[in-house]
Amino acid sequence: MTATLGQTSIVLAFLFAIWGVVSPILAYRGHSERYFAFTRIAILAQFVLVTLAAAALIYGLVTTDFSIRYVAFNTTRATPIYYRVTGLWGALEGSLLLWEWILIIFSGLVAWIYWDRQRETIPWVLMVFSIVSAFFLGVIAFISNPFETISPVPLDGRGLNPLLEDANMMTHPPLLYTGFVGLMVPYAFAIAALIRGKLDEAWIVATRRWTIIAWLFLTLGNLVGAWWSYHVLGWGGYWAWDPVENAAFMPWLPATAFLHSVQVQERRRMLKVWNLSLIIIAFSLTIFGTFLTRSGILSSIHAFSSGPVGGVFLVFLAVVLLGSFGLLAFRAELLKGQPEVDSMVSRESAFLLNNIVLVSALFTIFLGTIFPLLSEAIAGTQVSVGAPYFNSVTVPLFLLLVFLMGVGPMIAWRRASWDNLKRNFLWPSAGALIFAIALFFWKVRDFLPLLGFTLLAFVVLTIFYDTGLALRARRRIAGEGVFRGLVTLARRNQRRYGGLVVHLGVVLIVLGIAGSMAYSVEREATMSLKEHLNIGRYLVQFEGLKGSQQPTHFRVEGSFRVFHRGEEWGVLSPALKFFPNQQSPVGRAVHQSTIGEDLYLILSGFSELDKNQATLKVLVRPLVVWIWVGGFVIVLGTLLAILPLGKTPREEA
Amino acid sequence: MHRSRRLIIGGLIILAALAYIIYGGMREAIVYFVTPSELRATEATANDKFLRMGGMVVNGSLQKDVKNLTYRFELTDGTASFPVFFRGVPPDLFTEGKGAVVEGRIGADGVFQATTIMAKHAEEYSPHADGKDGYPKSFVPGKESAQQ
Repeated sequence: MTATLGQTSIVLAFLFAIWGVVSPILAYRGHSERYFAFTRIAILAQFVLVTLAAAALIYGLVTTDFSIRYVAFNTTRATPIYYRVTGLWGALEGSLLLWEWILIIFSGLVAWIYWDRQRETIPWVLMVFSIVSAFFLGVIAFISNPFETISPVPLDGRGLNPLLEDANMMTHPPLLYTGFVGLMVPYAFAIAALIRGKLDEAWIVATRRWTIIAWLFLTLGNLVGAWWSYHVLGWGGYWAWDPVENAAFMPWLPATAFLHSVQVQERRRMLKVWNLSLIIIAFSLTIFGTFLTRSGILSSIHAFSSGPVGGVFLVFLAVVLLGSFGLLAFRAELLKGQPEVDSMVSRESAFLLNNIVLVSALFTIFLGTIFPLLSEAIAGTQVSVGAPYFNSVTVPLFLLLVFLMGVGPMIAWRRASWDNLKRNFLWPSAGALIFAIALFFWKVRDFLPLLGFTLLAFVVLTIFYDTGLALRARRRIAGEGVFRGLVTLARRNQRRYGGLVVHLGVVLIVLGIAGSMAYSVEREATMSLKEHLNIGRYLVQFEGLKGSQQPTHFRVEGSFRVFHRGEEWGVLSPALKFFPNQQSPVGRAVHQSTIGEDLYLILSGFSELDKNQATLKVLVRPLVVWIWVGGFVIVLGTLLAILPLGKTPREEA
Repeated sequence: MHRSRRLIIGGLIILAALAYIIYGGMREAIVYFVTPSELRATEATANDKFLRMGGMVVNGSLQKDVKNLTYRFELTDGTASFPVFFRGVPPDLFTEGKGAVVEGRIGADGVFQATTIMAKHAEEYSPHADGKDGYPKSFVPGKESAQQ
């Protein structure tokens, strides 16, 4: 029943999507204008039907309807209810449905908000949504169907991958998909602008908030993924440059570049082609990411034949790229004759450089990710590209980016005068230099960390100094104190101050990454009862093992008493979880965070015979906690930038 | 003319810098996949390369010192085998007669110095035949077995 309902809804929605693609073309070809109106009906119908299908699958999961193959493979009778619901995105078929659902929710919102405001453009925007939606619905209905049934109906299901049974896993995929799909809004408006040949700034202005929101979700999706990796995967790291992670991270780079370069177009009418290209690339990368993660091509090139989904995504990706850039080439005439950059020392050129660095980072990560495929296809040699490649290539680029983060927001448009440079950068530079010397005497002497921390200090100082000058002006003009002044400034120019707060968040994240990359220590030892190991300022003593039966698994826990500078901190208990349906145990690492560093314990093994021995891996990772704090600051900054907080006289970059 | 020449020169400088860091990064971080027999054949030239070797742990070859976390064993692909040394904690599935993948370089003594061991899974999350295989044998699941 449930399966039939879901399946029927998907097929019907697919037909509506086709209708939504065809009707604006019919209208354009001289049929009745009424056909334009059908695009909205098509989107709303898809919205209702896909929501119905998603509800059907969730219902199937919650009621453990094992006649549906997807439910049987992703839940068991013992699965708690919220993990049954999150089973919706626990595997390929369901996650495609979730993606489509978010996509159609966004489309519905756009149709609802802009229909009356932008009559001319919206049918084409909705057509782009329907094209993508038709693709996903086609895949769901005919290739990777979550409503496929099995018989005989199994007595119990197989269960979710236990690593996914975690609260963060409930949020990570939806956040990321929302970010991916959010990028579709500026993309769809860009394509609509190209179709109509109206290539002024209207599409950018209309989608400004959407782009920022998409960027926020993309950022959070990646951060929550890193958090999950750190807290659940239990290997002590938060980022491995795994191809799947790269797939999620790559769209973030052109999206970030886009966010900055559109300001140049709004202000100076430059970079039109560049901005269109960036958003096309960003959207294509979301499809490419799905192709990478869902085709199985990554873990082994030979897995390609395992399912047709990968191939279909590749074809769709080709269609998106050819179609979008074809359209861009077709409109090339309209995009000519833009103003040029006046001076190398200007905000335009800082933003341009920021874009070049971001796109370079994208290119290097892309190359490293697909290099194994290229190598095997062309030379027949199996290779892999490890984390050291990505680190060594991206670190210099990201450091340059940090420097530009300090320069960009403060430097003058068009041509920065010597006075402007002196006013904005003299004191922050001097401060950063003093900071660097202090660090040097505080024994931070390796080149890259020293440079990194100094640049971070430079960014923070430019922001504080600039805000300080503005506050002084507020006091002179209106006699406002620091707090009143800040409120006035932020309300007068939400986008600017929101952006600066986001920059501070990024600074904190880079601080955490730099600290943990450069100064982590780890030790590994097999300990008998009451034995201990020393690491940094810590002493860790083995106190014993304990086994217990949990609802879904059996758990072996080691107890370790931790002393910090001789002072007792308490007992930490990393564990290994044994799931009945899994070959190998799942680690449950534990850690103790302080603002300075994290102590991270991983139980890697224990002797089964006498239960008196355990092998423990201990890591001390400095500053990690600032990565998560930085994420929080980014949320605040973004909210400040986009929320309508009362009077906004003139929005300026 | 002047402007486009400046653009080309700027672009070339950026591309050259990018090519340089990519080349440098790749040289350090590329890992070649080999089998024990391939490694036997190219041993002389493989000395400084970072390698990933897959094979099966030869039965009876594993000497482990759990206290010092050192492992010596041989990996075979059926035709040739290669000695491996590893210090650290191998994954739980690592055992004699099972597949394993090691990463590292060949040492001066001709032994593969592994920095990482990855146990090979046939299919990452497939259910096991009897459904209980993953349990630690000494802790009997289902019964109360809490102990210090």
